[in-house]
Amino acid sequence: MTSIALLSQQRLPESRTVRRKRIDAFPYLMLLPAVLLMAAVNLTPILQGFYMSLLKLNQFTLAQYLDAPFVGLDNYRQVLFDADNPLRTGLGHALRNTALYTLTVSLSAVAIGLAVALLMNRDFPGRNIARTLLLLPWIVPSYVVGTLWGFMWQRDVGIVNVVLVDWLHLLDEKPFWLLGSNSFWAIVIPTVWRAWPVMMLIFLAALQSIPEDQYEAATLDGVSRWKQFLHITLPLLKPVIVIQLMFQVIDNVYSYNIVSMMFGNGAGYPGEWADLLMPLLTRQSFSYWLFGQGAAVSFVMMMLMLVFVGVWLKAFRKSMTGHD
Amino acid sequence: MTEHRLRSRALDALTWTIVVVSLLPIAWMLLSSLRNYSDIAAGEQLVGGLSLRWQNYRDIWVNVDFFNYFRNSLIVCGLTTLISTAVAACAAYALARFRFRGSNAFSLSITVTQVIPGMLFFLPLYMLYRNLGQSFGLVMLDTYHGLVFLYVALFTPASIWIMRGFFVSIPRELEDAAVMDGCSRLGAFVRIVLPISAPGIIATATFVFLLAWDELFFAWVLTSSADVQTIPVGIRLFISQFQHRYDLMMAAGAVSTLPVLAAFFAGQRYFVKGLAAGAVKG
Repeated sequence: MTSIALLSQQRLPESRTVRRKRIDAFPYLMLLPAVLLMAAVNLTPILQGFYMSLLKLNQFTLAQYLDAPFVGLDNYRQVLFDADNPLRTGLGHALRNTALYTLTVSLSAVAIGLAVALLMNRDFPGRNIARTLLLLPWIVPSYVVGTLWGFMWQRDVGIVNVVLVDWLHLLDEKPFWLLGSNSFWAIVIPTVWRAWPVMMLIFLAALQSIPEDQYEAATLDGVSRWKQFLHITLPLLKPVIVIQLMFQVIDNVYSYNIVSMMFGNGAGYPGEWADLLMPLLTRQSFSYWLFGQGAAVSFVMMMLMLVFVGVWLKAFRKSMTGHD
Repeated sequence: MTEHRLRSRALDALTWTIVVVSLLPIAWMLLSSLRNYSDIAAGEQLVGGLSLRWQNYRDIWVNVDFFNYFRNSLIVCGLTTLISTAVAACAAYALARFRFRGSNAFSLSITVTQVIPGMLFFLPLYMLYRNLGQSFGLVMLDTYHGLVFLYVALFTPASIWIMRGFFVSIPRELEDAAVMDGCSRLGAFVRIVLPISAPGIIATATFVFLLAWDELFFAWVLTSSADVQTIPVGIRLFISQFQHRYDLMMAAGAVSTLPVLAAFFAGQRYFVKGLAAGAVKG
């Protein structure tokens, strides 16, 4: 979601500026409330989180807060290298799942979104209604999506097994969707279902901004539809695809709602194939009260994400701005 | 019929099939919300589906006290939307119209908040809130204002970017004329710029409301009493208590979708265009 907002920063027409000799207080005053809020809720917790990650902050020292014993990088050592650390229970699974989940959901959402956008970018009866209807899955709150699909995946009473086994006879026996490795797909599919409509909308808008005459010229030259897609459409869409993929990755790495509503009757014990980092981190931090180590995990995640975004933007800078 | 037209019809049919299939889960939610609990538990999928049981909606509203969570969500998300849009409008205007020392740094920090969202730092935030209450008597945990303050701050950076795009697209001649006529710059902003930017403001407000309505993570971490807990927390607590009452869960799901659906349709004209416009510029 937030990705959409961020897009508008790119290639906006340069705002015309008024040059004044003396410092003008007006823009600063207008900015002040936003700056204060962001300092309180974004900056302070990051700084304080870093300090917390250097403290022995557990259930016994929680009351001491920032006066808890200073242990340097010991929390990082324990989180990264100490296999017996309770906070690490299931961390390996959650890391693997988060990586696979992020990759699968992001690629699928972008691919399906693009494919349907191509379908929608034609004249056909009821096109506007179809576009609005396609957005509906995205309007459904993600926690409702988790509850709804959690019901649909039920082995005995869920509609998925009824359709697959009782109606279509595709399978002989009703599988458990919320147990074992199936549960990975049980979280991937609803996430994709809710994510692709926005991708579709964004790609559709991008497609509509491509001038028609580019295709007309190609058609006159006898270039096939597929070649037109590869050589005209795809290169023009590449900047949008690159940015959308990046924000999909960011959104999905921090995914929480769907998993936490779907499993263990809402208590959130998704098992080894459906646990993700954020659900695990919240659950473990509060059940063991290992706040110093929890903060250390947050910092490791933050660094990984910054490295990813840095590398991604560097790799695709050329295609996004059209020059180096 | 020519081959071309035949192909075109086939693609139309495919598109509409996709529309219908992607809506099936929502239809299933609505249908299940109107079914008898025992029919669902017995695994009878469509039998009994014809007698619609509206009683489920009454049950969640009155017996499960869903109204309570609904009210909390409306208050928290409504206030968040109002405040966040106002704060973002001011900041976005400053960024769109003025070049000043620090504006680039601020823009960069907005980008950073999108890459490392506040939810990664829920532990320090939780400790901060806890400490404000214990040491300074400023109770933030389990209060409306604690939740609203956090949401406003979380959703403001993204809102600033949306609104900045709208402000940049407005010609500045009108403001200049107003200032020359003796209007203050704040006055020009409030009386000239804001009214013209109504589409952008509506789009941003819709966006914030949708995000706030969907927020489960912090609501779960920062609230603990039914007086403050929002819908997602309520549903999650309900599931842990009544794990097999899918009829009521689906009814609750349908009711929780209504406000965002209404907000979306109310703001759709501007919202969809804003989304699309923002995206194409990428």
